[in-house]
Amino acid sequence: MSADTDRSTSEDLPPQVHMPLLDYVTATSLDADYAHVAERTAAEARRAEAEQGSQAGDPTSRPAVRPGVAALVVMGVFGVLVTTAAVQTARNAEDTSNGRESLVTQIKARSTQLDARRARIANLRAENESLQNLYLETTSQGRALSSRLERLRVMSGATPVTGPGVQVVVDDAPGAVSDQQRVLDEDLQKLVNALWASGAEAISINGQRLTNLSAIRFAGSAITVNFVSLDRPYTVLAVGNPDTMPARFVDTEHGRDWLDLHEVAHLEFDMTTEQSMRLPAAPARRLSLRHVTQEEKP
Amino acid sequence: MIAGLGLLVGIVVGLLLQPQVPLWLEPYLPIAVVAALDAVFGALRAFLDGIFDDKVFVISFVSNVLIAALIVYLGDKLGVGGQLSTGVIVVLGIRIFSNVAAIRRHIFHA
Repeated sequence: MSADTDRSTSEDLPPQVHMPLLDYVTATSLDADYAHVAERTAAEARRAEAEQGSQAGDPTSRPAVRPGVAALVVMGVFGVLVTTAAVQTARNAEDTSNGRESLVTQIKARSTQLDARRARIANLRAENESLQNLYLETTSQGRALSSRLERLRVMSGATPVTGPGVQVVVDDAPGAVSDQQRVLDEDLQKLVNALWASGAEAISINGQRLTNLSAIRFAGSAITVNFVSLDRPYTVLAVGNPDTMPARFVDTEHGRDWLDLHEVAHLEFDMTTEQSMRLPAAPARRLSLRHVTQEEKP
Repeated sequence: MIAGLGLLVGIVVGLLLQPQVPLWLEPYLPIAVVAALDAVFGALRAFLDGIFDDKVFVISFVSNVLIAALIVYLGDKLGVGGQLSTGVIVVLGIRIFSNVAAIRRHIFHA
């Protein structure tokens, strides 16, 4: 033992007191019991030898060191232990990877299924629409209904429309300092009302189609339409008869108000007639009916 | 010889039976294996030193396995299972390495 060199100075102290921990662990790596038992056996053998007198017998008198049945059993247990641990670890790893793989497979299968169903929804919708049109076209009543439906769709903003009309571009006065010289939400409301009054069939502001549920109002510092904030300048498109609308616009009360705003407050106001304009449909959530139901026909 | 035979028989039996370890015992199995490995290498070194004893081997094997598992169990209950396992592995690992070094010296006389 390496502790032997220290024995002279610290005879009475046990080795763990004066040895560093790692040295102690290394030095006592063999169970001390083996040495104890060997010593005792040797002492007993010597004593027996002394009692019998130093006659024939093993002069070395080494104790038997061959492993017996007990060692065999313990080694067997050790083998079972090691094998079981290895098998268990392998089995667990297999389970984990199996679980992940099956989850991935399931996700892929479900998302494929979802895609297929979405495609089917789109197909069915298109089919539904074409069947509805086909059915309506078969009778004169149906044709009337179909054209009425089309008209209602245009008026309610449910469908995109194209047609001639007027384009009005309005903006704040150059170098505006007060609200008087800026386009306010109520100014836009007046403009839109004047256009409706002068025969517009569909109106959009900066690409936002107006419906009977659309609000034009200030939110913070910007005007919002259909809950979308608009930037200046404001381009108002109104589908209608381009020949009569400008004249009728001037005849309306709000139209005259706007001409005053242009003259007095110097708000930018520019009305031009267009032969073809395209207005988008309103967002779907602006078209949902919440309370109304169709009345049964008598 | 007889010990190697026992090991072989044990491995074969383990492979054939593939015993299912109860879930509550599973965390203690690896540490028990390391403790058993320490006892086995200690026994091999004692055998080569000429001081091997069956009784000591059996007792050291059983007590090593039980105490290692017990320490980890206690650590789990106290919430320091991971740290205690590390401590046990470090100590047993050092013992195994130094025992193997002694065995190497015996076999190769170096």
